Amino acid sequence: MAGGRRITLAVDIGGTFTDLEFRDSLSGETHSLKSPTTPDDPARGLTEAVALAGERFGFAPGDVSLILHGTTIATNAILTRDLPKGALVTTAGFEDVLEIGRHARTDIYALRGPDRTVLIPRRRRFGAPGRIDARGNEVRPLDPPALAGVVEAVAATDVEAVAICLLNAFANPAHEIAIRDALAARLPGLAISCSHEVSPEIREFERTATTALNALLVPVIARYATTLRARLAEAGIGAPVLLIQSNGGAISLDAAARLPVRLLLSGPSGGVLAAQALARRLGIPDVAGVDMGGTSYDVAVVAGGECGVVAQGEIDGLPVRAPMVEMITIGAGGGSVAHLDATGRLMVGPRSAGAMPGPVCYRRGGEEPTVTDVNLILGRLDGARFLGGRFALDREAARAALEARIARPLGLDLDRAAAGVLAVVNAKLAASIKTALFARGLDPRDFALMSFGGAGGLHACEVAEELGVRRVIFPRDPSTFSAHGILSSDIRHDLSRAGIMRPEEASLPALAAMATELQEAGEALLEADGIDPGRRRMSFSADIRYRGQAFELMTDFPEGPLSATTLSELRERFEAQHRRRFSFDDPAEAVEIVTLRLTATGLLGEEGAAAPAYAASEAAEPGSRPVHVDGAWTEVPVIRQLSLAPGALVEGPAVVEQDYTTMLIPGGWSLTMKETGDMIAEKRA
Amino acid sequence: MTRPDPILLEIVAAALVSAAEEMSVTVWRTSRSTTVRELLDYSTAVFDGEGRNVAQAARMPVHLNSMELCLRHIAAHHIPLAEWREGDVIVTNDPYCGGQHLPDFIAFKPVFHGGRRIGITCVLIHHVDVGGGAAGGYNAHAVEVFQEGLRLPPVRIVRAGEMQEDLFATILQNVREPETFRGDFLSQVAALDVGARAMRRLADRYGAETLGAVGAALLDHAEAAMRGAISALPDGTYHAEDFVDGDGLEPGAKRIAVALTVSGDEIALDFAGTSPQARGPINATLATTTSAVYYAVIAACGVTATVNSGCYRPIRVTAPEGCLVNAAFPAPVSMRMLPGHKIATAVLRAFAEILPERIPASYYGTTFNHAVNIRHADGRRQVYFDAELGGWGAHPERDGPNGLAAGFHNGQNTPVEMIEALFPLRFTRYGLIPGSGGAGRMRGGLGIVREWEFLAESGLLNTSFDVFDKAPYGLAGGAPGRCGALSVTRDGVTTPLAAKTIGYPLRPGDIVRMETPGGGGHGDPALRDEAARAADRADGYVVD
Repeated sequence: MAGGRRITLAVDIGGTFTDLEFRDSLSGETHSLKSPTTPDDPARGLTEAVALAGERFGFAPGDVSLILHGTTIATNAILTRDLPKGALVTTAGFEDVLEIGRHARTDIYALRGPDRTVLIPRRRRFGAPGRIDARGNEVRPLDPPALAGVVEAVAATDVEAVAICLLNAFANPAHEIAIRDALAARLPGLAISCSHEVSPEIREFERTATTALNALLVPVIARYATTLRARLAEAGIGAPVLLIQSNGGAISLDAAARLPVRLLLSGPSGGVLAAQALARRLGIPDVAGVDMGGTSYDVAVVAGGECGVVAQGEIDGLPVRAPMVEMITIGAGGGSVAHLDATGRLMVGPRSAGAMPGPVCYRRGGEEPTVTDVNLILGRLDGARFLGGRFALDREAARAALEARIARPLGLDLDRAAAGVLAVVNAKLAASIKTALFARGLDPRDFALMSFGGAGGLHACEVAEELGVRRVIFPRDPSTFSAHGILSSDIRHDLSRAGIMRPEEASLPALAAMATELQEAGEALLEADGIDPGRRRMSFSADIRYRGQAFELMTDFPEGPLSATTLSELRERFEAQHRRRFSFDDPAEAVEIVTLRLTATGLLGEEGAAAPAYAASEAAEPGSRPVHVDGAWTEVPVIRQLSLAPGALVEGPAVVEQDYTTMLIPGGWSLTMKETGDMIAEKRA
Repeated sequence: MTRPDPILLEIVAAALVSAAEEMSVTVWRTSRSTTVRELLDYSTAVFDGEGRNVAQAARMPVHLNSMELCLRHIAAHHIPLAEWREGDVIVTNDPYCGGQHLPDFIAFKPVFHGGRRIGITCVLIHHVDVGGGAAGGYNAHAVEVFQEGLRLPPVRIVRAGEMQEDLFATILQNVREPETFRGDFLSQVAALDVGARAMRRLADRYGAETLGAVGAALLDHAEAAMRGAISALPDGTYHAEDFVDGDGLEPGAKRIAVALTVSGDEIALDFAGTSPQARGPINATLATTTSAVYYAVIAACGVTATVNSGCYRPIRVTAPEGCLVNAAFPAPVSMRMLPGHKIATAVLRAFAEILPERIPASYYGTTFNHAVNIRHADGRRQVYFDAELGGWGAHPERDGPNGLAAGFHNGQNTPVEMIEALFPLRFTRYGLIPGSGGAGRMRGGLGIVREWEFLAESGLLNTSFDVFDKAPYGLAGGAPGRCGALSVTRDGVTTPLAAKTIGYPLRPGDIVRMETPGGGGHGDPALRDEAARAADRADGYVVD
């Protein structure tokens, strides 16, 4: 034992790297580490990373007290269709709802039918008798012989998973429960997901799709949990593991194996949580957090210190009805390809060279110039020091590709072509931020930009300039920022019950009954997680709309017991929110609650020593290189980030580097190192 | 004007699209009606100073491709561009002044910079009501446009920044839901302004001259792309036809005939031989027709990256005055989507001869709008409005998708659970219709069946359906898709109803069943792959 350490680990397993960030709650110190992902067995990469960190920073496997784990296993299983065979049971007459969906199309000029995601084919979709109406009354009973027929039909398909989604089951789940019990009795070991448990909300297609996704993921996550437990045991790590959900909160392995759909799209949530936490810590409440990687650019808005949470996301064209951190994603990143269209216009992205073949300069067979190639050509990236110097980049190959494919056909010299590609991509990044803010009625000039992800630092200041933003925040460790966010997660269970009702005194008994039911369920879940009553937090919200609207806003309930007063305050909050988002409200119109929600939080953060202050850890080694910035080649100082002491000031133009990322500070900007190790660049007036 | 630098071109082009998007977001954020907010029945676009459409926010092809025609009509016949002043907003909904049907209000605002007109912004919104003989503007009994609602010629509703309140009050007095109309209309005006501000910012930053040069270059690029695609087609004249079932007032189908002539890098479409205009409201003005043609030609040529009015330059559309697709005043036009869909399928069918490897068989071919005026036992009234669609036509390389929006429109369905929570209806079936897709080497997509029980005291059913008689065509030996149908079952007796049913009285316990058409098949059914056949049988997409 390395002497009584108590380590909380955050692990973020991405496509290329497994990022690790840990905190010792006794000393308060935090460290991070990157190691390669092992795609054949990601759990092995995880334990290897932990062992490596233990060696480097001096702790033993037994010192680890908690592992918080961000994973893309569920997302990847859907995207690659690496899923078990499943069946679907619906109300008879509605077997095709999963296939028809909401039936709008995205490409309005296409004549060839689009690829449509149908997770469970028609031959394995079975209609059950019985009918529940919109109020939850049984209109037609579930006839036993017919039920037996459905059970035998499912048995004959030899499936691993079954989803059950009946009409109006959110109002009365009795029939779903009866079918579930009959299936479980006949087919022990079958993974069964019921819509009233996975997503008890109105709108049959969204609920069916979410339930089907969940059912097919149950065996996937169960297998991963088994492997992970075995690998951890082999490595001598006995700490509990919590997985990160798309709402940014953590959930136990067992709970995740029951509701794996909650893990979908959780990837970027760590970064957004970290952005929210850092924004609060720096006292800058309005921040646009941007995460630029190889293929995508994620934009999340933190307004008034809060990131938005929405009730629904999307994967592969299918709705995922689970609370998730709000963000928009565009296809632009370091791997975005610059090319000319049929009429000779310059396009950058959305096509990406990805990791394979990757940019031309990687020398893995890529032939089309990418944003990364252009950054290399313009001296913004240092080909010799990429990834800490472990991966040399071929600048000449990048130049040749840009010359042949872009510069010559457009009649531009190489520098102008390269700067042009950057200008086009920066304009595109700026437009996506502007759209994200504009859609919420916000003005970019009131915001600071926070840049993280490996590729963002080279673009952030120029994108800010394009938007009229005068301040850019660079977190201390932008490339493991997401793992950093995960480290501050709490356990979070989102529960909901649908039922259309008015927020009026007459609805109080029904609302109170729903609230009690949710609260009891929430307490039971946190009890099972081993959370002390004193560390539980319950907060209610509701999806509300004006009568006749077909979409809702998620509004937080006021604190305190339910009463006529809290209901009228709820309505006021809804109307204020409606004004902010849609510029009007309508006090004369009736308001409806569609769904009641409870967030049950179990606080994890241990009281421990405060983090030691940041201090420079590398010697200053003055250097410079020619960089094309502000329209010309300039000999620009190159500064190692970790050589900057708190309070240090860097005047642009300059390049600030660390192993996994590079920041470009253009002329007219100056960068300050903060006490926390984070940096803020500001445009001089 | 010199050609702009290729980098600047892309940056300003993106900013122009972003201006149209900002306008679109503004409408979404600030409008009131569900038509606008949830069905997204609106479009926004940006024009250059000469009135040429340079950028669009992608929404509805039916809208976008008609805005420039409307603008040209206004400038030529009503208010010359030289008389458009700073701060003016010009609006019309008149199908006989460049519009399509009365619910669509098209509003324009000139943008000035340094005293010079540098652009025009445009917002089209489908408003919830325009007065007239039926709520919502679809008066199936109308035989003149006067019975369809309030008609506004091109007028300055805002003059030099001042809303013309007398005129606005006159409009509001003539519509059924004045508050909603007012909210949507103000949002339309606000969005025009958002676009105008964005254009002025661009002129400040890059100069009005550059902005103009970029606009011109964008049009030239789109035109070049279109001409390039047309040049690749063999010269010649190709004929095709398709049909609208009828107007519900008089018997007999209406024929849409098109002659498509490719000559070099230009294309001409002539509709001589089309039936005379109908008595009922299934007529199209030339604006609707041209818009449907633009959709079909752009889709067939596969030029979709940057759609702007440069794409229209090599396309010429002509039709005899007074025919179904060039209706003469005062013909009623509220159901202009019916001929609109069939103009598109007729033009695509003509293309099938030239581009057999690209063109699919016919899709379901209409918008299945229906409504029930409901009366509850306690006297309360409610209007239930909905729309449905059917299956795609098979493509030479793949089966048509089942139950998915296609062609000249786009649309989302309403969840059954939401309908049941709000209206006295209980659904008994919502699904695909086995066997409704046309057989072929590639199978047509399946149509949709909607079936519900009526639970209230009484109701009146209205439908504006089509494609009950004239089936969606197959191609290259593929079979046509199955037609649509409508029926009511009362006390165990099923009665078929007409496609255009007006005010059919419903009683509690009635079961209403609507079936939409499947798409046509493509290629000889005997050549269908054995595995695909087996899959069709296993999934029950076909009936034995």
